[in-house]
Amino acid sequence: MYSVSRLSSSSGLKASSMMLKTSASKTVGYMSTSEKSKPIGNIKYFKIYRWDPEKKQKPYVATYPVNLDECGPMVLDALIKIKNEQDPTLTFRRSCREGICGSCAMNIDGGNNLACLCYISKGAADIKVNPLPHMYILKDLVPDMTNFYAQYKSIKPWLQLKDPSSHDLEHGEHLQSKDDRKKLDGMYECILCACCTTSCPSYWWAGEKYLGPAVLMQAYRWIEDSRDELTKERLEDLDDAFKLYRCHTIMNCTKTCPKGLNPGKAIAHIKKRIAQTH
Amino acid sequence: MKTCLYNFSNYSEGEAWKERNEKSGRPTSPHVTTYAFPVTAISSITNRATGIALTGGITGISLLALVGADVTSFMQCIGNMSVIGPLAKFSVSFPLIYHYAASMRHFAWDKYPEMLENEKVEQSSYALLGGSAALSAVFAVISI
Repeated sequence: MYSVSRLSSSSGLKASSMMLKTSASKTVGYMSTSEKSKPIGNIKYFKIYRWDPEKKQKPYVATYPVNLDECGPMVLDALIKIKNEQDPTLTFRRSCREGICGSCAMNIDGGNNLACLCYISKGAADIKVNPLPHMYILKDLVPDMTNFYAQYKSIKPWLQLKDPSSHDLEHGEHLQSKDDRKKLDGMYECILCACCTTSCPSYWWAGEKYLGPAVLMQAYRWIEDSRDELTKERLEDLDDAFKLYRCHTIMNCTKTCPKGLNPGKAIAHIKKRIAQTH
Repeated sequence: MKTCLYNFSNYSEGEAWKERNEKSGRPTSPHVTTYAFPVTAISSITNRATGIALTGGITGISLLALVGADVTSFMQCIGNMSVIGPLAKFSVSFPLIYHYAASMRHFAWDKYPEMLENEKVEQSSYALLGGSAALSAVFAVISI
């Protein structure tokens, strides 16, 4: 097939009548055998974890092609497009679509992130979408969050006073200086999406007893709040073998937080505070 | 005030939740097979692995010495062999050097939690892994 072009260039003839048209010619528009034949468009393949509780089958990975030219830029846009156009049974949590509610937390290409804030990566590689790691799965990408919420409740995330009547209508508001309020920056913004907690290998192995980075950072948020009066009790409550001290400073939490917060550092501060009370 | 590390609080709620889920037949989502571990996590698990290696190695050497084997000359004999020697010496020097350096980093983090920022811990992890490997390689080829 390729000898044709050598003939024509060496003889210098405009020998279009002598030229053999081969099916490997680029002008005809066939792909060479090394390329996959794909439909027209900028296609990316999403490999998504699926499991149906009503079928007696093991979890599996389903592959969905998405035309990125007809899709929004975020992974959540692609998931909604797949659910609308290809597979309505695909199940996932979502709400605000702007990274503030924490519903769409999942594992995308190996890292925990919010699907509504995670850009679809450029390039030809497939995107792997899995649920948050080491969680019991209710269906597809939906994990059981009840233990996470129960652990959050257990640290008493509210202002506690020694005498509740000390700040009533008669005695006035809880006053707080700007410097004291600044101590809460970087902690109050947590949306409890559980990306950090489910990225922690210690939480994978001891999740029923270890509180995890999200809950511990909120515990520190209340320890650091100058208006709270039961700081000593809060610190004592964490001082046992599992609640706090399963943290080994692996720092997966801070790396993966989609809001840019730093639970690992907060936990180190708690450890330092407790060490000072001993 | 609770000071004992072996204080066990009431974990019944968490454990009951785990029991219910285990019985329900729900699968656990994949973790080590799917998570893209950052270099800091690699440096952390290497610290644990070298710790286990050191514990096993020292226990093994001690037990051998207890039953009367001449451990020092045995180890020197292996160390003097042509190809296996440097490899064996590396398998001793790397756990010692890495675990010591990683533990120093833990002490630093305990005293200065401000050092726990993404960029700083990433840089320290690369430095730790690379520096320990290089230093261990040096010790693996020289003879003291």
